[in-house]
Amino acid sequence: MTKGRPELAAANKKRPKRKNTAAAALLSLPLLAFALIFVAYPLVSGILTAFQAKTLLDPSAAFNGIDNFTALFKGPGFAKSAGFTVTYSAIVVTLEMILGFGLALLVNRKFPGKKAFFTMLLLPIMVAPALLGVMFRLLLNGDIGAVPALLHGMGMSVSLFAPDSVIPLLVVLDVLQWTPFTFLIIYAGLQSFPEELLEATAIDGAGYFRSLWSVVLPVLKPVLFAAFFLRAIDALRTFDVIYVLTAGGPGTSTTTLSIYIYKAAFESGDFGKAAAASLLVLVVLLPFVPFIVKRIASTGLEGKK
Amino acid sequence: MDRRSFCALGVASLTAAMLAGCSTASSGSAGADGPGTGTVKMVAWPGPEGDAMAKVVKAYNGGQGKQDGITVDLVLLSRQDTFSKESALMASKSDNQDIYWTASYNVGQYAPSLDALDGTDTSNYFPVAVDGLKYKGKLYGLPLDVSNHFLLYRKDLIDALLADSAAKADYEQISKTVLGTARAPKDPQSWDLDDFKAMSAYFSKSANPKSPTQYGTILQAKNLLYNTMIWNDVLWGYGGNWQVDGKAGLDSDAGKKAVQLYADIYKNKWTTPDSSQAEFPETQAALQSGNVAFAIQWSAAFASLNDPKQSPAVAGKIAIAPVPGGKTHVHALSVSLNKYSKNKAAAKKWLGYLATPAAMTEYAQSGGIPAMPEVLAAQKAINPAYAQVSSSIAKNGYSEPVFPKTFEAYSKLAEDLSGAWVGQTPVNDAVKTANTDLQALLDG
Repeated sequence: MTKGRPELAAANKKRPKRKNTAAAALLSLPLLAFALIFVAYPLVSGILTAFQAKTLLDPSAAFNGIDNFTALFKGPGFAKSAGFTVTYSAIVVTLEMILGFGLALLVNRKFPGKKAFFTMLLLPIMVAPALLGVMFRLLLNGDIGAVPALLHGMGMSVSLFAPDSVIPLLVVLDVLQWTPFTFLIIYAGLQSFPEELLEATAIDGAGYFRSLWSVVLPVLKPVLFAAFFLRAIDALRTFDVIYVLTAGGPGTSTTTLSIYIYKAAFESGDFGKAAAASLLVLVVLLPFVPFIVKRIASTGLEGKK
Repeated sequence: MDRRSFCALGVASLTAAMLAGCSTASSGSAGADGPGTGTVKMVAWPGPEGDAMAKVVKAYNGGQGKQDGITVDLVLLSRQDTFSKESALMASKSDNQDIYWTASYNVGQYAPSLDALDGTDTSNYFPVAVDGLKYKGKLYGLPLDVSNHFLLYRKDLIDALLADSAAKADYEQISKTVLGTARAPKDPQSWDLDDFKAMSAYFSKSANPKSPTQYGTILQAKNLLYNTMIWNDVLWGYGGNWQVDGKAGLDSDAGKKAVQLYADIYKNKWTTPDSSQAEFPETQAALQSGNVAFAIQWSAAFASLNDPKQSPAVAGKIAIAPVPGGKTHVHALSVSLNKYSKNKAAAKKWLGYLATPAAMTEYAQSGGIPAMPEVLAAQKAINPAYAQVSSSIAKNGYSEPVFPKTFEAYSKLAEDLSGAWVGQTPVNDAVKTANTDLQALLDG
């Protein structure tokens, strides 16, 4: 019917495309609404607050240029908390990636009681971080805690909250809680690993570690980057466990960026300064995102086929 | 970027900006008196005070509240985050709550978001509690629960020491090592800060292998603003103060001595090394376990320490004495009227009820420590500490200066000094930094 009528043919081709676009827009509406309300609005509001003199004492929220940003660098607090946060995050994420990968390799086989072991392994990540902080505060208490009592029974008198041991303690607690997270992501990656690659390397005579290094790791790269990215973002935001256990002390030795921002907002009542600190952190971290996302989006099989 | 993407981004930005505009318009409008009846929404924190208030609210709603046509809706937030959540509500000029939970240490900071309680009869309250809730001459909080500190100590251990001449001789020897001059052991009712130090050593196995306890005391040395209040007792006990003639006064002999006392006790292991993370619950645990002989602790602690169910190891053995040095921080927890409340008339009626001795008697009988001396005296059969609270506040009580950044000052001092309290930072450096920061806060 459209023979010799190219404009009708073109119109017919466009109709299905328009229907698809309309359907896509309709189905995207809930996500778009969520993004606007819970992402865009807080982001815009936060950016505006960062340039306002907004405190509990003066809620007028007058524009004050970059005063909030310069205030961050007037004292050593912000820089010190940034330094501690980066160092702490680097240590815990490295440990969690190594241990998570090792656990994933270990569990990636059949053995008796695997399901029960798997469940127990995941228990720590099911507990809210603040609750875990409270639990450890009780468990590690020198007077009534089970752990010091056990150590004392073994002839060891250890003070886990002493200033010299509190940072290693925080690292251990973070590793205990979040290694199951990296394990889970990497294990899921191993589950979908193409077996034929390993068979091929076995035929070629490659040993276990050679296969691991030359085949498994490169193919798992996107998964590893995903685990690293998610864990790193979370580590940089660490608040709950540290705040419950040490409140950022002694002094400011365990104050993370999140604790610094929290105190600026809710103890100093300076929301402008807190928003400025948050915005600065966002701006510094944002350039890393495309790099990581690119690594995650790659298939990992380039050059392996 | 193609045209469609650009349009989509533009729509998103515009919508976000409109949402931001809408949000500002919907809250932040001035409060209103309202109908004078209906629901009054109130915040409190859990624990003895919040639990006692819940019982008062229940009694009111079932009695006087029906006559007033008012129902009080009490929300218990988390103990650690109540003030944070309220700060967020105040910053957004919310009318979500009619009555806030406040305290003498933050009423100055919150005053711009509160209405003054003009015309309230405060004659039944401790004057120091009322004064602590005034900012620029106006009362911004109705005193509710009064908090101060005591020395809580193991009476059995001190009595044993005082009755044993050999132990006394050991004590004198240890005190000579610690203080430079020998001292005889005294009843805790008359301890000064040197006695506190010497006794800390005597009751610690590190200084006295024959000690019946592992440590003499437990210092509340965590980086926490409430621990600054405890440490202030030592500062005031040495004759110090936050400010002298409007200038920060921490960088003084008294200030350095007060920090040095903590550092000496910590470094010599006369307190548990875990003191660096200790606050109220850890102090309770240390006393309940029998590992320490005494501690400077909040008045609310006494009841549970003498309860056989909660403290089987030490119940009946704990006694109360004034804080060594003779000075105790006093603050009042209070309730305040939200400036942006839409039902102020009803909220004021409820506050008027709370200000009566009848309401505070109910509060005391429910486990609170009301800031009314006559109510405390009448209810001392419920809690033996009540009589001591009254006399302690009257005789030894002091309040820190109330200025707009008082709340921030407590927090800043904890941050600046907690490292020195546990020997991580040199005393002089920490005191200098704290003094500079305090001066900046006093200057506003």
